[in-house]
Amino acid sequence: MKKYIAALASVALLATAPLGLGGYEISVLLMILFYVILALGLDLVTGYCGQFSFATGAFYGIGAYTAAIMNRDLGTSIWLHLPAGAIVAGSFGLMLGIPALRLTGHFLAIVTIAFQTIMYLAISQWTSFTGGQVGLSLRGTDPLRIFGIELFELGTLKSYYWMTLAVTASCVLIAWRLVNSRLGREWIAIRDDETLASAVGLNTTFGKLTAFVAYAALAGIAGVLTAHSLRGVTPDDFTIWISATVVAMMVLGGRGTFVGPIIGAILLALLPEFLGRYAEYKMVIYGVVLVVGMTFVPEGLVGRFRRSTAR
Amino acid sequence: MSGTILEMRRIAKRFGGVTAVNGATLAVGTGQIVGLIGPNGSGKSTMVNLVSGEFLPDEGEISFNSEVVTRLPSYRRARLGMARSFQLLRLFNSLSVEDNLVLANHMRMNTGFVDSVLSRKNARLEEATARTRARELLSWFDLQELASQPVAALSIGQQRMVEIARGMMSQPSLFVLDEPAAGLSPPNVDRLIDLVRRLRDEFGISILLVEHVMRVVRDLCDHVVVLDAGQKIAEGRPEDVVSDPVVVEAYIGSGWKRRAQA
Repeated sequence: MKKYIAALASVALLATAPLGLGGYEISVLLMILFYVILALGLDLVTGYCGQFSFATGAFYGIGAYTAAIMNRDLGTSIWLHLPAGAIVAGSFGLMLGIPALRLTGHFLAIVTIAFQTIMYLAISQWTSFTGGQVGLSLRGTDPLRIFGIELFELGTLKSYYWMTLAVTASCVLIAWRLVNSRLGREWIAIRDDETLASAVGLNTTFGKLTAFVAYAALAGIAGVLTAHSLRGVTPDDFTIWISATVVAMMVLGGRGTFVGPIIGAILLALLPEFLGRYAEYKMVIYGVVLVVGMTFVPEGLVGRFRRSTAR
Repeated sequence: MSGTILEMRRIAKRFGGVTAVNGATLAVGTGQIVGLIGPNGSGKSTMVNLVSGEFLPDEGEISFNSEVVTRLPSYRRARLGMARSFQLLRLFNSLSVEDNLVLANHMRMNTGFVDSVLSRKNARLEEATARTRARELLSWFDLQELASQPVAALSIGQQRMVEIARGMMSQPSLFVLDEPAAGLSPPNVDRLIDLVRRLRDEFGISILLVEHVMRVVRDLCDHVVVLDAGQKIAEGRPEDVVSDPVVVEAYIGSGWKRRAQA
C-alpha cells in the first residue's frame, strides 16, 4: 500500500512539475524519464535475470530510428511509432537473446558490446537508409486523434512532457507486473542458479529470451520518445556511452531492486546539470561511480538501504 | 514389483580424454530405493547428471517411465516426473523457502504467463493453491515456521530438508538424491534415513540414492549398484554387496590382503 501511495505521489509531483518550470528544466525532466525507462529495462535482463548487456544504446537507437524512418517513408505519427519501436527493438532483442542461451558472464557481455558496435556502424554508414552521420529529422508530432476527434495536442513541450510521463508510468507499471509475476520469479531463479532452474523444470531458454525482449522493447520505446522529443536522430546519440551510462545508473541504484535503477537514473541524469562547465567530464564521473559502487556498495544504494533496515 | 521406472543401458560419457562412465548399466524398479555407491572418482556424480539430463551420454540409452529420454534436456525430464537434489546444496538463495518450493511447481501450472502478469483471477487462484501446497509440504517436513525466511538464513541441515521438500513439490515419480547425508551430524543422519523411508512409503515414489555414508545405504536400499572406474562391478542386496571381495578391493585396493598376510 505504501508503495502505491509513493508511486502515485511521484507521478502527481512530476505531472504538476512543468507548471512552475521553464523550457530548459522540462527538457531535463524529459531526459530523466528516457533514462528511467532505459535503466528499468536493463534491470529486468541484468538485475532480475542475471544476463549482462552493454547493448542498451543499440536498442535505444533501433527504437529511435524506427520512428524516424517510418516518419520519413510512411508519414506516420508517434502513436504508431511507440508500438512499432517496441516491436522492432524487441525483435532485435530476441536476436541478441539467442547467443545469450549459450554464453554467460563476461562472454555474453562481449557479445553485447559487439552487437552495440555493429548497430552503431550500421546506422552511421548505411547512409541511404539511415541518413548516415547526419542522421534524420522528424516532422512535428501529430495530435492524438481517435475517429477524427482530436484528444490530445502534442505541439507544445508541456503536452509532450505529459504524454512522455504517461508512457513512462505505463512502462514502470508493466515492468512492476512482470517482476512480480511467475515470469519475474523465473528470471530470479535463472539469475540465482540456472542449472537448478532447469532441474526444477523451468524452461530457462524461454525465461532468458523473454527478459531480453522486455528489455529491448522498453529501450525501443525510450528511443521513439527521444526521437520525437529531439525532432531528429543522429548515430552519436546511441553509442556505447549510453549503454555504459545506463549500466552505471542501474549499479548505483541497485540491481534487481526495481526502484534502485529508477533512482540511479534520476541521480546520474541530473548530475551533469550540477557540474556546470565540468559537465564534459561526466563519463569520467560515471566511470568512477561504477568502480567505487561495484567495489564498496555492490548491492547499490537501494540494496544497501534495504539491508540496513531489514536488521 | 511392478516394472522399472528408470533404466540406463550401456552408458558411456567421456570428457575430453577421460572416460567417466564406461558402459554402465543401472535400473531402478518402481517403488524401490536403489543405492549407487563406489569409491571417489568412480563416476557416480556423472551418472546422476546423466540421469537428470545435465549431461547427455556419448553412448547408450536412458528410459524413464518407459519413455526414451536419452537426449532430453533436464527441464523436460523434470516435467516427466524426475526430481533431484544436489551433492553441494543448491537453492535459489535470494528467495524465501516458500518461493523456492513454488518455483518447483511452475511447470505444473496451467495458466499462462500473460495471465500471471495481468494478475487474472485464474492465475491468482493457481498461485494461491501452489502456496497452500507448499505450506502443507513444509509442515510435513516440519519446516512450516521457516516458510517466509530467506533460504540463506537457514542452517545446512534445514537447507538440505528444504531441498528435498522442493523436490517433492514437483510431484516426482523418481527422486534422485545425490549424497543427502553429506555434512550432516549423526542424529541428523538418523532423521534423514527415517525421512527418506517415509517419502517412499507415503508418497509411493522411487528413489535413486547416491551415498558415501554406508549406514544410510544399508538401512534404506533394497538394491545396491557398485560403480568403479565408470563400470558396474557388483550389484545386489546391500549386506551381500559390502562383503563382496571385488567391492572391498575397489574401495581399499588389493594391497590389504597381502599386508594382512604378512
